Amino acid sequence: MANTEIPLVVRDLHKQFNDTPVLEGLSLEAHEGDVITLIGASGSGKSTFLRCMNLLEVPDAGEVIVHGEPVAFQTRRGKREPADWRQVERIRARLSMVFQGFNLWAHMTLIGNVIEAPRHVLGLSKREAHERGMALLERVGLADRAGYFPAQLSGGQQQRGAIARALAMEPEVLLFDEPTSALDPELVGDVLKVMRELADEGRTMVVVTHEMDFARDVASQVMYLHAGRVEEAGPPSEVLVNPESARLQQFLGPRF
Amino acid sequence: MEQWLAHTLPFLSNNDIFTPDTLAQYWGGLVVTVQLVFLSLLMGIVLAVPLAVGRASRQAWISRSIWFYTYVFRGTPLLIQLYVIYYAFTYVPGVREAGFGAFIDNATYPALLSFTLNTAAYTTEIFYGAIRATPSGELEAARAYGMSTFTAYRRVVLPSAFRRALPAYGNEVIFMLHASAIASAVTLTDLTGAAYYVYSRFYSPFPAFIFVACVYMVLSFAIQGTFRLLEKRMLRHLKPA
Amino acid sequence: MMINLHGYGPRLLDGALLTAELAVLSLLLALVIGLLVATAKLTRSGPLRAMGTLYTTVIRGVPDLVMMMLMVYGGQILMNMAVDHVNALIGTNAFIEFNPFAAGVVTLGIIYGAYMSETFRGAFLAVDSGQIEAARAYGMSGWLTFRRVRFPLMMRHALPGLNNNWMVLLKSTALVSIIGLSDMVHVADQATKATHRPFLFMVPVGLGYLAMTAISELIVRYLKRTFDVGFDGRQA
Repeated sequence: MANTEIPLVVRDLHKQFNDTPVLEGLSLEAHEGDVITLIGASGSGKSTFLRCMNLLEVPDAGEVIVHGEPVAFQTRRGKREPADWRQVERIRARLSMVFQGFNLWAHMTLIGNVIEAPRHVLGLSKREAHERGMALLERVGLADRAGYFPAQLSGGQQQRGAIARALAMEPEVLLFDEPTSALDPELVGDVLKVMRELADEGRTMVVVTHEMDFARDVASQVMYLHAGRVEEAGPPSEVLVNPESARLQQFLGPRF
Repeated sequence: MEQWLAHTLPFLSNNDIFTPDTLAQYWGGLVVTVQLVFLSLLMGIVLAVPLAVGRASRQAWISRSIWFYTYVFRGTPLLIQLYVIYYAFTYVPGVREAGFGAFIDNATYPALLSFTLNTAAYTTEIFYGAIRATPSGELEAARAYGMSTFTAYRRVVLPSAFRRALPAYGNEVIFMLHASAIASAVTLTDLTGAAYYVYSRFYSPFPAFIFVACVYMVLSFAIQGTFRLLEKRMLRHLKPA
Repeated sequence: MMINLHGYGPRLLDGALLTAELAVLSLLLALVIGLLVATAKLTRSGPLRAMGTLYTTVIRGVPDLVMMMLMVYGGQILMNMAVDHVNALIGTNAFIEFNPFAAGVVTLGIIYGAYMSETFRGAFLAVDSGQIEAARAYGMSGWLTFRRVRFPLMMRHALPGLNNNWMVLLKSTALVSIIGLSDMVHVADQATKATHRPFLFMVPVGLGYLAMTAISELIVRYLKRTFDVGFDGRQA
């Protein structure tokens, strides 16, 4: 199978909420080292698209294939659902997500957050997980905050902590769901810097974002979504510099 | 003022009442009360945790039937629940003859059973409320990292819900301590029963009941203080630095 | 088919009536005490505030049943002493029996007055002070401000808590059966002892409490709509 080496393939995803179509046939291939950014107005379906990739939303139709392993679906009482939730859990452990609202577990310290899933999902020993976690906190510049609770950290620190938590799973693909949208403007830079470093390292990433500078500088591919469809896609040097669609031109603003 | 003193002093200085004998009664009552309350709270929690999880279940018949249980037990007086169980143990032939001999001769078991079912109902609703208050993002993060429902509950939902439930549960503990006073209505000599015994023996309600009121107050404050400390420790994660 | 209540039917109904009367009268007394004590706790007077706090602290530390026994059994003795005093003064030989129903109402009123004072206090503090200032700015007197602005706004915040207090109070009325009042629990208790049928009487009484709860829920819903005027988006 040619697909085996591709970390993440999604094909022809469809999704409705209460009869309102949100995704209408979206596909994507994230190859090793790709940084794919999804842009679009709110309501364009970009977050839902991302959340379908790790099955936080179950697509009504379409395939999700992680390293050649397709997620199995079944239909029960007219509703499509994964046939085997254990498979879904296994796959989720390989695609770490970073959320807009950080979603750090409030009752655990920062290091507790980082080692939680490696210990209880991957089965690492406490020592192993701790070593790995501390190294990652060091990387995102939060080693001195390891013992703090999330409520005691700034938004930017929380989000960098959340990125460390995602990295601790040693995921094959990192999914970012508008990671800087909930941050005060002056805190955005630190988080973007960490994300740029990850891209430079060759991590495979799918990023929903409003940060056009990040998309232009870092992305290998930009997808512009509108009303649940891909309106335009390609390398940022084309899509962001010479947009063909009128909607994208308008979305990007008068600068372009 | 002098007249008032003339009336009250006899009650205060009358040491016929607080003799070693009556103090032993009070001590025995304290032991009974603490045992009843502690055991029923303990069993109540053991029942309430799975019930609260079931109450939060998406399976309608599970959550509905648990709701019905808590509705009935929270909507009627504990005294009725105690009477139903106590009299069922005493009068229902099947219960009497089914080899429960050790049980029916002692009102302790009906009292324990009714207290347990009652506090379990309240505790279930407290935990259920706390589970529902789990920030949805925290649960989503747990799922996103591949945790099974069981692991997510064990590691994320329940530990954070227990912390949130702490203040309300502290109130429930004090409520149970106070509610346990009705054990004296089914022949148990708990603290209140001991006070009633002292009252009826000397026909002097004020020392008998004021003394026991003070004992209850000390116990209540001790519980309150313990929970304050626990909250300080367990809820410190919610405070900004 | 009618359930055979062994002739206890009418007495059970009387008991239910007594429960309802006891509950409603105690509620009214508790509301009055609660409002007064809440006001005392919110004044600038140190002694008043301290007394209010002491009162709620003591009540919260002591079981309802112990309070009730103290009031009922102690009440009779105090009453005797007072009557003896009067007898000695004016040379009569009267005896007044202490009324346990009144004792029940007073006890429950005092106990739940303490809880309600806390509810009211919180609700008063939740009222936006700008609303009061506006009333004063238009020349409304203190009492008028209280009656027309502060109280109705406060009630919106207090209602859920008061409803809670009331539900607990209603169930607490069952305790009067222990001190000898013939409420519905007392009747059911006696009937059970006489007939050895534990469920026949206790279950209907339990349903009686649930019915009272349901009725009061309807009333509370109506009150809630009254006090929510202007806050729930309904048109006037």
